[in-house]
Amino acid sequence: MSKKLVLSLVVSLSSMLVGCGGSSSNNNTLELFSSKAENVAILESIVSEFNAQNPEYTIKVVAPADHATVLKTRMAKNDMPDILAMGGDSYFTEVQSAGMLVDLSNEAYIITLHESYLDMVYNRNENKEEIVYGVPYATNASGVIYNKDLFEQAGVDVPNTWNEFINVIETLDSKGIEPFVFTYKDSWTILPPWNSMAPVIQPANFMDDRLQDKTTFVGTHEQVLENIITLMDYAQPDFMGMSYDDGNKAFAMGEGAMIINGNWAINQVIAANPDINLGMFAFPTSNNAIENKLTSGVDVLFAVVKGNSEKEEVAKKFVEFATTPEIATKYINDQFAFSAIKGVEQTNPMVSDASADIMAGNVENFPDHYYPNGLDLSAVLSGFAMNYSSGMDNEANILATLADLDAKYDAVNIK
Amino acid sequence: MTNKRNWLVSALLMLGVIIFILTPLYMVFVIAIKDPSDMVNVLSFPKQIRLENFVDAWVKTDFPRKFANTAIITIINLIFTLPLTSFTAYAIVRNRDKSKFFKYVYYYFLSAMFIPFSVIMLPLVIQASRFNLDNIWGISFLYIIFGLPMNCFLYSGAIKSLPISLEEAAMIDGAGVLQTFCIVVYPLLKPITATVAILSFMWTWNDFTMPLILLTDESQQTLQLAQYVFKSQFSVDYNLAFASYTMVLAPVLIVYVFAQKFIMSGVVSGSVKE
Amino acid sequence: MKTQKVNPIYYIIVGAMTVCFFLFHTIPFIQGIFYSFTDWKGYGNWEWVGLRNYLQLFKDPDVINAYKFTFTFALITTVLVNLLSLVLACALNANIYCAGFLKAAYFLPYMLGNLMIGFIFNYIFANIIPPIGQMLGIEMLSVNILGTDKAMWGIIFVTVWASSAFNTLVYTAGLKAINTDIYEAAAIDGATGFRRFWLITFPLLATSFTINMVLSIKGFLMVYDQIMAMTNGGPGMTTTSIAVLIYKRGLSGGQFAYQSANAVILFIVVATISLLQLRFLEKREAKLND
Repeated sequence: MSKKLVLSLVVSLSSMLVGCGGSSSNNNTLELFSSKAENVAILESIVSEFNAQNPEYTIKVVAPADHATVLKTRMAKNDMPDILAMGGDSYFTEVQSAGMLVDLSNEAYIITLHESYLDMVYNRNENKEEIVYGVPYATNASGVIYNKDLFEQAGVDVPNTWNEFINVIETLDSKGIEPFVFTYKDSWTILPPWNSMAPVIQPANFMDDRLQDKTTFVGTHEQVLENIITLMDYAQPDFMGMSYDDGNKAFAMGEGAMIINGNWAINQVIAANPDINLGMFAFPTSNNAIENKLTSGVDVLFAVVKGNSEKEEVAKKFVEFATTPEIATKYINDQFAFSAIKGVEQTNPMVSDASADIMAGNVENFPDHYYPNGLDLSAVLSGFAMNYSSGMDNEANILATLADLDAKYDAVNIK
Repeated sequence: MTNKRNWLVSALLMLGVIIFILTPLYMVFVIAIKDPSDMVNVLSFPKQIRLENFVDAWVKTDFPRKFANTAIITIINLIFTLPLTSFTAYAIVRNRDKSKFFKYVYYYFLSAMFIPFSVIMLPLVIQASRFNLDNIWGISFLYIIFGLPMNCFLYSGAIKSLPISLEEAAMIDGAGVLQTFCIVVYPLLKPITATVAILSFMWTWNDFTMPLILLTDESQQTLQLAQYVFKSQFSVDYNLAFASYTMVLAPVLIVYVFAQKFIMSGVVSGSVKE
Repeated sequence: MKTQKVNPIYYIIVGAMTVCFFLFHTIPFIQGIFYSFTDWKGYGNWEWVGLRNYLQLFKDPDVINAYKFTFTFALITTVLVNLLSLVLACALNANIYCAGFLKAAYFLPYMLGNLMIGFIFNYIFANIIPPIGQMLGIEMLSVNILGTDKAMWGIIFVTVWASSAFNTLVYTAGLKAINTDIYEAAAIDGATGFRRFWLITFPLLATSFTINMVLSIKGFLMVYDQIMAMTNGGPGMTTTSIAVLIYKRGLSGGQFAYQSANAVILFIVVATISLLQLRFLEKREAKLND
């Protein structure tokens, strides 16, 4: 009896080791991996349209929580999804540099794309080669989102220069309207003001010079942090403790006149208050209005993962389908986003100012997209904001923060 | 011995329970049944009880499936962990003076307890997919294996204090090792078995990292993982979120209410080697 | 003990379990160590880099910060949890009303997962505490503590809240096992109150103390899920524990090999501390039990 017991235990254990079938990979089913939870619904609707036209294949949308971890683990076990819909960020560089993506340079629709966004994607390729591994699809805009009604109530107009901006803020403040809702509990929301100001303020060749150790953040970026401090002087109480979600809700309810963030926030704001009357303008960093640019980058690009040729063909077909003007329009209308496809214009009045900037090419990419992978800028800036709110001397804080940023930049910039 | 009860200590303890334990739980529940418009005074009793929050959360998180997945993982883990680890610990304790092998295995398991999960995480993913363990069945197996050091540690503490004379008597009567273990030793380990069962149950039910990295297929996900997804999608709607939390906490709380004495005495007898 | 032959069945089962454990726990661990000497990113090609990752660790301000935070946190939390648990256990062990209910209620936090607890307290710190703090005029409580340079204390509070349940129960059990005759004898000798606790009760709790200390230190040095649920390591890097750093930078941050080296160091530190502690406490326990 005893031997049988052992035997059955061992057998059942080892059968668990080998048995229990693996993940099913059907040839007719493709997986579309999205790194944005916000666009799952619209991607699903696009996919179902595609599936209806191509009944022999089924594309499935997955958007796991903590997408970066999941993507990384799936790369590690070589079980990649067939199509990726992701940002033009360092994760794209990682997938691309691993040689997992199909070259799409010869696809017909490439000529319909804005070159400026194609350049941004090339720039994310590991060796900056001009090969299309990612098709820029939707683009974003970061600037200032404002409540038109509150602006009207205070009698202020959209500012074009830094001085006008300060005027607007002071007027709002004097009329008892909270100028901003800052949401620094989520540290990434301190990035937008930095991203908007740094390209304007830093010296022309800063990115390359910094990479080659010819310059430092200390001595070049003081103005950026001084400006952020000026803005934080007008922050609502407990701005360090407010989360992004709560802040969007508070902004939607009229508890503040502006948020410094991107078009991706608009959906959530409108969900909290469908009647809000909002607009968006480029961050007025400089007193020379021409220098001020909208910060815009590739929010979603499509990439096709190398696999068997049949699946690759279907995946390519899907990207072609998604980049048709009709579908692309549908996508940007749902997301308040902008399109990388020529002629597909965002006409929603809420973001029309930003849209005009994009059409005119008056845009600058997110500077943090040029920093080395692994540099956690948001943590540095969050520490800066925390020092500010706990009463540290501003000058000392600025110097310490920039020195810290330089040290961390050097730590990850090892070639 | 005096029979006078200490009312001051009782009152202080009661106050502590009300402020620190019952209020947060009440808050979770009351937010779950409120309408979003009724959130001005969060802790007030709802003007109108709104059960749609639960219905919405049930549908949006695909609750039945996630519940079934979590239950399967937990049950498989329990079925195998209890007999296997108790016997392993028994074998180690009874033989570690006789054979170096068991002594080394004991220290091997003990030191393995101090390996941060993060360092094995990524290699584990590769190893797990190599053996087709990236599904609810595989993850159940991994829970059994990963719980081994801790459970052995607990079991061996209890086994050390068992009088060996009973076993020797059984052996003299002709019982084999397994027979002795099943008939004589295992029943005596009931209290620590309860502890291990509870610890394993809590671990698998509440774990989040391992499902996150191993269960990439949505249909295989667990309740905790679903909450994480839920949080990033609907976090402005606290009523919905807390309705969902309530549904995850409810099974645990129900089990606790009915098996409270058993659970506590289990953990109690497990931790005191007497 | 007489020397006997060891029954092969012991070898079979323990061997099988050990092999399984080796395969799915130790091999990944060895792989982790292996890759800490490379520049592997978690996929693709890699090259040997020798000790470069390790040398870099000692120069990295984030790593040093994370170690400082983790040790401060673990030390404070271990002390607070064990103090609170001892007080609670003594109180619960006294002759009180509703003993059953109170014990059950204080154990309840143990049943809730860290992720859930994190979500719930995240809400409490952001939405419940600040209005109360403003009403009472306490500056520290009138804002969300998780957004300030005191965020560590928010995490400590939640961890103490969640961890005291188990420790209290272990101490309660230890107290119950003490023969009340000892107290009567002590009372005759004139030992009462704190003196009685320190001289008689506490030494008799040695076993419970060992369990609690070992589990507390180990758990708190690897603290990670509460932080991920509440502050995500912020503000700044103030609540970034070593485990959080490894997780965030190693997995999604593209520093897999580098953070593997960090994990190896963490392993060495934690294992050393725990083993020393175990040795020391077991010896002390043995001495007390004599």
